[in-house]
Amino acid sequence: MRRISHEWFFLIPITVFLGLFVFYPLTRVVLRSFTDNLTGHFTLQNYLNAFTQTRYLGSLKNTLWFAGACTLVGAVGGTFVGLLASRMSPKARGMLLSFYSLPMTLSSLVVAFAFIVLLGRNGVFNIILNRYLGLPKFDLYSWHGLVVTYSFYNIPLMTLTMASVFLNLDRSLIEAARNLGAKAWQVWIYVIIPVLAPGFIAGISIVLAGMLAAFGTALALTGMAKSLLSLQIYSHASESNYNIPQASALAVVLIVVIVGSLATLNWIERRLRPGGER
Amino acid sequence: MRRDTVVALIQRSLLVLLILYIVLPLLVPLIFSFSTLWMDIVPEGFTVRWYLKIFDRPKYYRGLITSLLVAFSAVAIDVFICVPAAYAINRLRGPGGGFLRAAFKIFPLIFPPIVVGTGFVQAFNRPPLAWSGSLMLAVFAHATLGFPFMFRNVLAAFQTIDERTLSEAAASLGANLWQRFRYILIPNVIPGILSGSLLVFAISMGEFEVTSMIAGFGWRTMPLLLYRSLIDDIRTASAISGILIATSILAFLGMTLISGRVGAGKLRAAGARE
Repeated sequence: MRRISHEWFFLIPITVFLGLFVFYPLTRVVLRSFTDNLTGHFTLQNYLNAFTQTRYLGSLKNTLWFAGACTLVGAVGGTFVGLLASRMSPKARGMLLSFYSLPMTLSSLVVAFAFIVLLGRNGVFNIILNRYLGLPKFDLYSWHGLVVTYSFYNIPLMTLTMASVFLNLDRSLIEAARNLGAKAWQVWIYVIIPVLAPGFIAGISIVLAGMLAAFGTALALTGMAKSLLSLQIYSHASESNYNIPQASALAVVLIVVIVGSLATLNWIERRLRPGGER
Repeated sequence: MRRDTVVALIQRSLLVLLILYIVLPLLVPLIFSFSTLWMDIVPEGFTVRWYLKIFDRPKYYRGLITSLLVAFSAVAIDVFICVPAAYAINRLRGPGGGFLRAAFKIFPLIFPPIVVGTGFVQAFNRPPLAWSGSLMLAVFAHATLGFPFMFRNVLAAFQTIDERTLSEAAASLGANLWQRFRYILIPNVIPGILSGSLLVFAISMGEFEVTSMIAGFGWRTMPLLLYRSLIDDIRTASAISGILIATSILAFLGMTLISGRVGAGKLRAAGARE
């Protein structure tokens, strides 16, 4: 009895902290999303706006496409680099993965600045592309420009996950399957993919959730020109067209979209797991 | 033999290319910040003028001091809440502990900066929590964004040292709870606390999203100044970027050093398997 009490005592600081800075603000967001901006009365108008007004619907659609594209690029790039990393000597791998953990803490504005210098209208790469290779300049301030910029976060993030996934892949499992007469495609479908799937899906969950809510680099590069759900929230919560209830409703929509995506990925992962639910 | 050298050469150049993908975007702002002119492919001249400007003008050096103050405070708060929590949750067996560990992993995903900002903007504007625009609110916001990283690192440290056995051994020798913490547990998990602190510090120094939503009129952090200067003063932007990049790199060098000391045996074991 005494031991249990001292452990719960240690949870007090984090409980107070989470209550004050997570649950309380989140509750306020949810409650305010059901109120009118001017009168403060109960209303569903903010949610109605979110699903009927073209600017919000468009931003939701953009967010889904953008996050999907970023996740795809991150997944392919990260899986490729992760596979390479797993085949390297431990020393080379250690060096590579150290570099690939750098972007994680890098300010979104620093990344925006770096890509302006590299790929902006007069960026170094664009001058080289244009003058020496005669190719058209790369447009950093377009949707694919944003995807390329955000890949600087996503590919390394996915690489870190996939490198450890590939390292943990037990070669003897594959050999056992081969020895038992499995064809190459059977080995992939029944052995390799189920073993890789949990790590892979955990990796793309992190990337996808991050990209659904991302806005810092996009704001620095294109301002409000590219309408993302997160940018709509930002503009209502902190800029001139101040409308906290609308921002709150959009934030709730965003949370629901993120939770829905994560739940879907989790469901897929459970279906792929060997001996999992079918 | 020949084939081997070709393969090795390809591997070597691939490694260089993959590292360049990260290094180039970090190097370019740094080169930019030390050059007098960069209009074409090659930068010209060497200068520290843009950095001197930051240390010269109150607007900028106050920003740097503000950023450092916020980052150190956020780290302190996260240490204070996460070390006891990680200790307790590591001990909680059964579904409760598992649930909490999973919850802390998913938390930052479903509560991203834009939602933290939207919550903070409206939750702290009336007594007794009238903190709108105060620097303290920025500290709390950064601590909120950073605590999952601190928690993960400290929890991992508690898991690797087999805290229960250590504690029981110390208790059997007559050490009370405070003594067990002071002489046994803290010295053993300090690498995890330091790694978490460096991570939270680096994240806080570069944080722009939430900070810009809750910023008051009386203070600016480095990323807020960077946002302004991206529009009209690209030279200052390069120097601020340089400082922030250096912060991230130093933080990671520190973390690599720490994990190198702790995990040297682990890494060797992983290598031996090949």
